[in-house]
Amino acid sequence: MTRYIINRVFWLIIVLLVVSFITFSLMHLVPGGPWDKEKTLAPQVVDALNKKYGLDKPFYAQFGDFIWGILHGDLGVSYSFQDRSVTSIILQGLPKTATLGVIAFILAILIGIPFGMAAALKQNSIVDYLSVIFSTIFASIPGFVLGILLIIIFSVELHWLPTGGWGSIQQIIMPAFALATLPAAFIARITRASTLEVLRQDYVRTAQAMGIKQRTILVRHILRNALIPVVTMAGPELAFLISGSFIIENLFSIPGIGRMFVNGVFARDYGLIMGSVIFYGFVIAGLNLVVDILYAVIDPRIRYD
Amino acid sequence: MVKKILILFFSLLIITSLVVMPACSSAPTGPQVLTVNIAGEPSQIDPNRASWSTERTVIMQVFEGLLGFNQDLTLRAIGATEIPTIDNGGISADGKTYTFNLNQDVTWSDGTKVTANDYVYSIKRLFDPDLAAEYTSFYFGIVGGEAYYSAIDQDAATKAQLKDAVGVRAVDQYTLEIKLDAARPTFLQLMALWPSYPLRQDIISQYGDTWTEPPHYIGNGPFLMTEWVHSDHITLVKNPNYWGDKAKLDTLTLNMITDANALFAAYQNNEVDIAGVPAGTESTVMADPVLGLEILRYAELTTFAFQFNVDAAPFTNKNLRKALNAAIDRESFINNIRGGVGQAAYSWIPPGMPGYDATLGADYHFDVTKAQAFLTAAGYNNGSEVGELRLQYADTGINPTIAQFVQQQVKVNLNIDVVLEPMERKAFTQAVNAEQYTWAWYGWGADYPDPDNWLPQLFGTDAGNNHTNYSNPAFDALCTQALAELDNTVRLQLWADAQAMVVDDAPVLFMQYRERFVVVKPHVKGLKYTGMDGDVPGDMFFANVWIEN
Amino acid sequence: MTIAAESVRPHHTLWGDAWIRLRRNKLAVTGGVLILLIALIAIIYPFFSKYDFASQDLNAILQSPSSEHLLGTDELGRDVLTRLIYGARTSLMVGIFTQLIVLAIGLPLGAFSGATGGRTDNFIMRFVDVIYAFPDLLLIILLRSILGGSIYMIFLAIGLVNWVGVARLVRGQILSLKQRDFVTAARVLGGSGGYITTRHLLPNSLGPVIVTVTFNIPRAIFTEAALSYIGIGVQPPTPSWGAMIRDGYNVIFAAPHLVLFPAIAIGIIMLSFTFLGDGLRDALDPRLRR
Repeated sequence: MTRYIINRVFWLIIVLLVVSFITFSLMHLVPGGPWDKEKTLAPQVVDALNKKYGLDKPFYAQFGDFIWGILHGDLGVSYSFQDRSVTSIILQGLPKTATLGVIAFILAILIGIPFGMAAALKQNSIVDYLSVIFSTIFASIPGFVLGILLIIIFSVELHWLPTGGWGSIQQIIMPAFALATLPAAFIARITRASTLEVLRQDYVRTAQAMGIKQRTILVRHILRNALIPVVTMAGPELAFLISGSFIIENLFSIPGIGRMFVNGVFARDYGLIMGSVIFYGFVIAGLNLVVDILYAVIDPRIRYD
Repeated sequence: MVKKILILFFSLLIITSLVVMPACSSAPTGPQVLTVNIAGEPSQIDPNRASWSTERTVIMQVFEGLLGFNQDLTLRAIGATEIPTIDNGGISADGKTYTFNLNQDVTWSDGTKVTANDYVYSIKRLFDPDLAAEYTSFYFGIVGGEAYYSAIDQDAATKAQLKDAVGVRAVDQYTLEIKLDAARPTFLQLMALWPSYPLRQDIISQYGDTWTEPPHYIGNGPFLMTEWVHSDHITLVKNPNYWGDKAKLDTLTLNMITDANALFAAYQNNEVDIAGVPAGTESTVMADPVLGLEILRYAELTTFAFQFNVDAAPFTNKNLRKALNAAIDRESFINNIRGGVGQAAYSWIPPGMPGYDATLGADYHFDVTKAQAFLTAAGYNNGSEVGELRLQYADTGINPTIAQFVQQQVKVNLNIDVVLEPMERKAFTQAVNAEQYTWAWYGWGADYPDPDNWLPQLFGTDAGNNHTNYSNPAFDALCTQALAELDNTVRLQLWADAQAMVVDDAPVLFMQYRERFVVVKPHVKGLKYTGMDGDVPGDMFFANVWIEN
Repeated sequence: MTIAAESVRPHHTLWGDAWIRLRRNKLAVTGGVLILLIALIAIIYPFFSKYDFASQDLNAILQSPSSEHLLGTDELGRDVLTRLIYGARTSLMVGIFTQLIVLAIGLPLGAFSGATGGRTDNFIMRFVDVIYAFPDLLLIILLRSILGGSIYMIFLAIGLVNWVGVARLVRGQILSLKQRDFVTAARVLGGSGGYITTRHLLPNSLGPVIVTVTFNIPRAIFTEAALSYIGIGVQPPTPSWGAMIRDGYNVIFAAPHLVLFPAIAIGIIMLSFTFLGDGLRDALDPRLRR
């Protein structure tokens, strides 16, 4: 196991290098640069800005500068928030995005797994249909529409909750819910499917035939096995949630990194893009690593040698 | 079962949407606290480097310059005792040397006096190539400014030399002298803009890039910044040491909501006191018994148009451009689609600016017969002979609506097919800047209220913001003359002639002058807006605002 | 379960059986029929409609539903019903074609990776990590500027970004199935690696994959809406449900029905695909075969 983890960490570094190189190349291929403004900047201004941010250097030298900075723990400077380093932008935005993401994730798990399980155990019953219908309803409203509906009901109409911002529990309720619905519906569907799958396995049938208590079977066999695909999908789902949703952060005015990153892409803020990608890549690949290790823990039949 | 639940859900959704337009209760805000919204996290709030309205709103509360604007956009003296003129000796007879006598009462928020050296420091810093300030090119008329700014690759000693050569000096502690390369009648307007505001050398050298964070962000304006929660809000409080009439507000909060619907909802939930109304919602607001009484509408010095790339066939054809100008029913667009918000444009300079001329562009008032006549003059018997026209725009806001409207108008009135090409915004900007477009939607807002900000930069041959590739030697000659003309009457006449030329050549399809449509809580009193206000109406005069509980 | 019996069966019956079982599932049939019906209406309705999806009536903008316009009109006075039905074409295509791309890449790659194991698996999975960590928005903007606002851009943009989920899912399933008795038995009986993968591992791992894909179809329709929302959507005036929701969102305070109807349409499509997907999963489950 230790060897496996060391191996994976080695690969993590390779992956990050490859991702940053591809991103760097893509970034320069995408039309439009950071200084393309609606009011065209004077050529002298563009020259000065390029010099200031090292964009007058050749492509490979710019990439070299970036890697050199990373090795020194410096993610570089932002072009669109010019007095703030990328590190400080991420450090300021991350706790907010991550808090919101984790709350939404827990909410999604708490809603999704019981609903999915219940639906599978009572297949083709009212419980099953209700779970399908609810997950469908919540999955058929896009985030920004669900978000604005919540705002209209709870802020504009009832005046119960603030429309957005960050700092109080009241401000988290709506965005967390809006963020959780789609993953919750998805997790419910996956749980239902994999539970049904497990229910049909020979070992469950054998256990049932042997007269082992339903509860024991549920906990010892079904839950454990049914959760494998859920864990597979939940990892990326969590990564997705804590990397931030632009739409939800934008709508609820949450000062998180999801909003920052998308704005960075639109502003061609090369510094912010590269810093976020390295960071995001680290989080995603790291979470996938955790998921793979969890696999081995949940399902002892899977071995890594 | 399934069906019943479905029906239940959908009826619920419908009910929710029916009650969407609310009556809002106006709970009293705390005493003398105003909350407004800026369009997002400012890029930075360094006066020398700032270039956009979001930054401007913050800077103008905390800093003041030598001059400022009145509500009618004429100049007023703030940090200077009077506006320099040739008569009062503030401007030399050749129009190249400006002398400002500083008001000796003006102090920084920490109590020290604002001196001529603070201005000298700021203006020299504006040209520092290592600072790379974006608005600097406006000030290249100052002696030695462009040379210093362009010395990007020079060594420190050369830069220091060039810096010393910049034509700004403190004659004494309260007298500032600025020398220009050539007479520039609009120079004083530039001195009313934020890049020329005074700055504190001691603070900036001590704190570097973090000087714009509180408590180092020391200014000379009516407010102080006490808090900057990035991407969330900025808190400003009354500057107790302000030298003039102190602000009536105790606290001014700048929120950073970016979604138009969310901002409007925040207004209705009493979280902000002033908010823009989402485009397309204006008629509903006008009909609302409560919101309808809180509307504030004002013309902004911004013109929207479709620019033609006059080097790209078939837009090389002047009569085709005129035909398109006459084929668009702008009144219908404004009255039917925009709920009456905005004003149809038939020329370039907007109303409220010196140089606006309502009689220009008479040929472009919607008239299908006239449009057809232009088309015939352009050499086409039928619009179908023109071939497909391609129209580019940034895919944001209501741009798709405007583009589809024009597409339909051109098809119906001229039988010309238009293909719409929505683009990601930076890709669009790049395509326009590089002149790799055919026909593009754009707008121009005033940096300062004078025609010299509106004509030479946009239509002069090879000018920086001329992306139509329009080139007319007669126009260029008029511009050269007008830019240096010191007699204001003559000058404005020259600009009028120049604009008439542009309108006649139609390098753009004039569409509309912008009108802002915002709602303001009734307890906000004393708001004074100007045609140069961006997303935050009244941000030049927040010191005069008070809350009536 | 009789592995021996299964391995001597002729190939076609797997799908033949599935078809028979699918037809017995009422919900699945309802879902399938609804999808076909929507597709059919989308194809033939324009021949009967008195409105064109692009023609504007500037004297009748943002109207509420009436007998003249059953679902009201939009911000340019266009008939919402007509646009909704036209939009079904775009949105169904977005949903289905993106998932075809996702399946075409994700299924074989995930299966191959899981079945082969070892270094190859590790390498493929690290490649998947690269795609995962990748800022897809940049890729989409690049595709957008190369291909313009065509519908193909949306297929590619969403498909190329989303296949990794399926690849990881299939691989996870196969890793787990590989250890099962029936696979060991098949291997002992002399089945080749490719044979075992296509005949045993893949069919047995399809359940969650089908669920994911049916779920992803409406998700893709959403992504298209989200792309519209942030300003990189399809080219007007061709309607899509996503773009209609975006346009409706802009005026939600003035005309909420503009968001409501496309949202309901997406809900119906989503429900149909869910029922069909569940039915398919059951039908394809080898252990349910009689």
